[in-house]
Order: sequence, then structure tokens, then C-alpha cells
Amino acid sequence: MNENFKISPSEINKIKPLNQKDKNFRLENLKLFNQQGFPSRNQEDWKFSDINQIFSKNFKNLESFKNESKPKSINFIKEFDHNNILIVNGKLENSEFKFEDKNKIKIKSFNDSNFSINNQENSLINLNNALSNNGLFLEVADNYRFEKAIIIYNVFTDDLKDNLLNNKNKIILGKNSELHIVEYNINQSKNKFIYNTTENVILNENASLKTINLQANQNEGFFYKFSKGKMGSNSNYSSFLFSSGPKFNKIDAEFDLEGENCDCNIKSALFINKDKHQEIKTKINHLVPNCKSYQKIKSVVDAEGKGVYQGKIYVKDIAQKTNAYQLSKALLLSENSEFNSKPELEIYADDVKCSHGSTSGSVDENSIHYLMTRGLSKKQAVQLLVSGFLNEIIGDIKSNSVRKFIENKIEVQLHGY
Amino acid sequence: MLVIKNLKASINNREILKGLNLKINPGEVHAIMGPNGSGKSTLANVLSGKNGYKISGEVKYLGENLNDIPVEERAQKGIFLAFQYPLEIPGVNTNNFLKTSLNTIKKANGEKEIDTIAFLKMVKEKAKELGIDEKILSRQLNVGFSGGEKKKNEILQMKILDPNLIILDETDSGLDIDALKIISDGVNSSRSEKKSFLVITHYQRLLEYIKPDHVHVLSDGKIIKSGTSELALELEKKGYKKLN
Ligand SMILES: Nc1ncnc2c1ncn2[C@@H]1O[C@H](COP(=O)(O)OP(=O)(O)OP(=O)(O)O)[C@@H](O)[C@H]1O
Ligand SMILES: [Mg+2]
Repeated sequence: MNENFKISPSEINKIKPLNQKDKNFRLENLKLFNQQGFPSRNQEDWKFSDINQIFSKNFKNLESFKNESKPKSINFIKEFDHNNILIVNGKLENSEFKFEDKNKIKIKSFNDSNFSINNQENSLINLNNALSNNGLFLEVADNYRFEKAIIIYNVFTDDLKDNLLNNKNKIILGKNSELHIVEYNINQSKNKFIYNTTENVILNENASLKTINLQANQNEGFFYKFSKGKMGSNSNYSSFLFSSGPKFNKIDAEFDLEGENCDCNIKSALFINKDKHQEIKTKINHLVPNCKSYQKIKSVVDAEGKGVYQGKIYVKDIAQKTNAYQLSKALLLSENSEFNSKPELEIYADDVKCSHGSTSGSVDENSIHYLMTRGLSKKQAVQLLVSGFLNEIIGDIKSNSVRKFIENKIEVQLHGY
Repeated sequence: MLVIKNLKASINNREILKGLNLKINPGEVHAIMGPNGSGKSTLANVLSGKNGYKISGEVKYLGENLNDIPVEERAQKGIFLAFQYPLEIPGVNTNNFLKTSLNTIKKANGEKEIDTIAFLKMVKEKAKELGIDEKILSRQLNVGFSGGEKKKNEILQMKILDPNLIILDETDSGLDIDALKIISDGVNSSRSEKKSFLVITHYQRLLEYIKPDHVHVLSDGKIIKSGTSELALELEKKGYKKLN
């Protein structure tokens, strides 16, 4: 793959069915993408994750689609009751809502360009608009509260190799509805591929959405997800990101707080292994008064791993009584670990409470020594300190069974380091 | 049990221990007193195997040269240091930590590991003896513990791990009178022919509870005087200045 990676317009003909309007929209977006190529560090939003360079280094060629393929056996989660949705290589395969009133849930495969996100500056979104051929549409009716969580098994098959997959999701919560989602990524491929998702999340008045993003295993995938959320009054969004594991992963979340008294939470605990690269980028737009946002990002970076947090809080002039909090803490396990953090406040209202901060440092030697005087090896001591560091986030998960499950998953990651 | 010959230790190009000699036999209790900054905690750290010191001289524990033995192996061989300032370890549950510690040491000594139920039962008993509120053991290790709770937690660890050479670095500082009594009882009930204690303190009062066989004065990195518990009384009256 050379510097100016381009995709032929003929690729768009492979997507069916396609009306003329749709096709034009896609062609237009493809043109934009081909003009810009993949984002590079010259763009502020990508300065710590130059994916043009990263992709050039890792892909000689890229095939835009993947034919039908079947996953190997999947380890479904047994630790707690749940509804499930199975997605294979981006395609909605099936769903089962054992615990719910099915009339209240709309679910379908989704690639409707009417819902596309327009962002001229982000060529990955252009690319997604041009080529997305799969996705998930999920809508919860007004006043319906889910009994149990949904686990979205996001499975990638072992025959993926040098593929470029583009996907669109849309999740709508009706007024007074409630939903918990665990997005569980299972990557069976040993090879490299790119998965580019854009997601729309709409929370109507008084709706509550909790999501957990979890990677089942270490893998060679390259993931990018742009998530655009809109929050109505009194709505509540809470997201836990345990998204480390892939070779590259960038989660790019932008939330508009459009109704008063809404509450937006993003928490993350990451263990970034050797040679892995993970970025979390957020933009929280406080557009009306009396809203709250809270972000806490904790990252542990092992040798030659790289972590990035870019977080921006925007407070519009009328958004008085905004309460916004943002903190990033990183623990570097080696001299070759890298963490970049760029917290930003852009505030135009005067009666607000905003705070942000970021720290990064190595594991405290005195703490290691203390634990070692109690018989623990250095490795055990560091593992204990690291899991203690991440526990602060995991401990906030309210459901005991879900929390235990996540704790175990993270523990496994730690022991692998 | 412990033989120290001409021990010198420096850190950041500063010599702190300047040729220290000490011999502790099994079953003995030795007290070390001395002015602030004389090197008492440094001695404790060096014995625990802490990194960062440049060391010369000889330290033998049960006949074995300690110099090249890493921190955790010393602990596994039965050396225990109760810290002057126990560290706060966020996110780590105290009970889980205690169990991990005990089982790691058991495993290293080829003993059978203890299961959770038996462990919790044992901890409960020992915590009760030391007047420790059980609730703090389900909290994060030392985080938000009061000064006295931290010190008691050190003694609890000593009781659980059952070591042979026990170094108490100002365990009495910051304890109220009742706690001092409880902790001293805790130490006294652990005394045996096989165990030795090195008790670092500023106060003669502790030595009324824990009767030492020998008292040493450490000043400017050396032991400048040794004696019986009489010496502690004398120091209490006259201070360190008069000694030199
Ligand atoms: N890392 C270090 N770098 C430089 N000097 C140090 C370091 N650690 C300790 N020291 C110095 O070594 C000296 C001895 O310190 P130590 O903590 O051993 O004293 P101490 O006898 O325990 O005193 P106290 O009674 O106050 O607890 C002090 O002057 C201290 O400042
Ligand atoms: Mg000291």
C-alpha cells in the first residue's frame, strides 16, 4: 500500500441494493476519502495516532469486503443471564431476547446512508459512508426497561486477512427506556484487518443506557469506531471501556448534551500490552444548562505499548451550571512505554464547575518494595499494583456478576504480560 | 540468627551506615535507639533487601550471607520488617493481599497453601487479639487507615506470616496507650527461642512492655554504645548528647 491509498469507485457497485441517491452519496464520500487518504499526524485529531503511517506499515494491500464466512465455536458468556445479538464480521447474524417483551424492541441489519454522519474532516467517516455495507439498528420503545443486559457478540472470523470492513450502527432509546449492553469483541483471526465503524446513539428524554466495551482476547485487528451520541433531557449514559487487546484501537466518542439534567459518564481501564496502540478520544459538548459529564481514564502501558487520551469538554455560553470532570491517569511499566494525554477545556459559560487533569508515571518503587517484603516476587508485586490501579474503575460496575466477569478478564490480560 | 559485621551503606553518594556491628542470637530481643536521622530505618531497609543502597560488609542470617538475596526471598526465609511508615496500596483488598502473601511464602517453603475459608477464620482470630476492627480488612490495603490502624496491620501481618527475625521500626510511634499494650502483648506472645526481634524505638516506655535483652545506641551510622535495659532508662534521663 503506498502513501496515497485509493479505492476504486467500482467497489461501490458491489454494494446492493443501492438506489441512485445512495450511490451518489457514496461516490461523493469516496471522492473525499481518495483526496485525503487515511488521516495522518498532520491533523490535530490524529497527531498521536498516525494511522496513515500505521496502515502503510502493516498492510500491503487491502480488500474492501469479506464474503460470507462462519465463525469457529464461540465461548458464550455463562456467568450471568443475558439477551444476545450475534454479529459476524459486522453482519447481524441473529438475536435472541429471551427475557424481554419482543414487541418493544426493533432490530435489523443496517446500512442506511440517511443516517450517515457527515464529517468532512474525518476521512475514515467518509470511507465509512462510501463503503459501509453492514451494521446494527436497535431501537427500544418508550417506557420499556430491559430486564437483562444484551451481550453483543462481535465476532471476527479466522479467515479475515487484509480486509477493510466498514460498518454502521444505530441505537435509539425511547423516552423513559433503559438498556444495558455489553459489547464483547471476539477476534478469531490471527491476521491483520481493519474494522471501521460509525455509530449513532440517541437517548430520548429520561432514557438510560449503560454500555461496556470488552475485548475477549489479544489480537491483530485494527479498530476504529466513531460514536456520535445525542442526549435528551434527564437522560443518562454510562460507558465502560475495557477496549485494549487489538493491535490498534481508537475509540472516538462525541456526545451532544442537548437536554437539561443529563448525565454522561465515560470510564476506562486499559492494559496496553507490548506493541499495542490504543487511543480514547472524547468530545463532550455541553449545549444546555445543568448537565453533568464525568470521565476517568486509567491506562497501564507495558513496554513498547502506546496509549493516548485526547479529551475535550466544550461548554456553550448558555450551558450554565455545567459540571464537567475529566481525569486521565497512566501507569508506565517500562522506559519504552508511551502515553500521551491532551485534556482540553473550551468554556464559554461563567457559572460552571469544570476540572481536568492528567498524570502519568511509573509504578512506585517503595510500594513494590513493601509488597516484596511480604514475600511477593517483583512481578507479582507489579501485577498487584497494576490491578489495584485498574480496580478503581472496575469497582464502579454495579452488577456483581458482570463485575466479577470483567475482573477475571482483566486479570488474565495482566498475567499474560 | 543475625550477624552484622562492619556494615556500610550509602545512597545517593551519601554514607549513612558507617561500619555497624551487631549480633543477635535466636530468642533474643534487641532494641535500637538513636537520634533522628542516625540510620535506624536505613538499617531496617538494608536488612529487608531494599534496592538502591551501595553496601559493603557482611550480613549473615542463619549462617547464610544475605547480600545477594533478593527482597522476597528474605521474606520467604523468615525476615519480617514492620515499616515505620506502612505504604498505602490503592485498589488492593487487604484480606486478599494477606492471603496472597501468606500463600506465596508457604509455597516457597514447600508448604501447603491455605484455602480462603481457613484463612479468613485465622485472620479473624488474630485481628481480634490485636483489637483490629475486622471491617478495615475488607478495605484497600492501608488506604485511609489511621496511623494506629496501619501499625496494628503491620503486627497482624507479622502474626500471620510467623517469621523468625522480626524488625519493628518505630511500631510504637503514634499508638495510644491501650494500643501500645495490645501490640506489646502481641509481640510478647510471639516470643520464643526460635524468634529474634530487633526493636527500633525512641521511647523507653515500649521497652517496659517488651523487655529487651540488649539495648544499642545508633548514632551517625554506628553503634556507639550497647548495654542492658538500664541503658534505655539512662538515655531517657540524659538524652543522646551526654553519651559522646
Ligand atoms: N534516599 C536518600 N537519599 C539521601 N539521603 C537519605 C535517603 N534516605 C535516607 N537518607 C538520609 O539518611 C539519614 C538516615 O535516615 P533514616 O531514615 O535511616 O533515619 P532514622 O534513624 O530512621 O531516623 P528517624 O528516627 O527520624 O526515623 C537521614 O539523614 C536521611 O535524610
Ligand atoms: Mg526511621
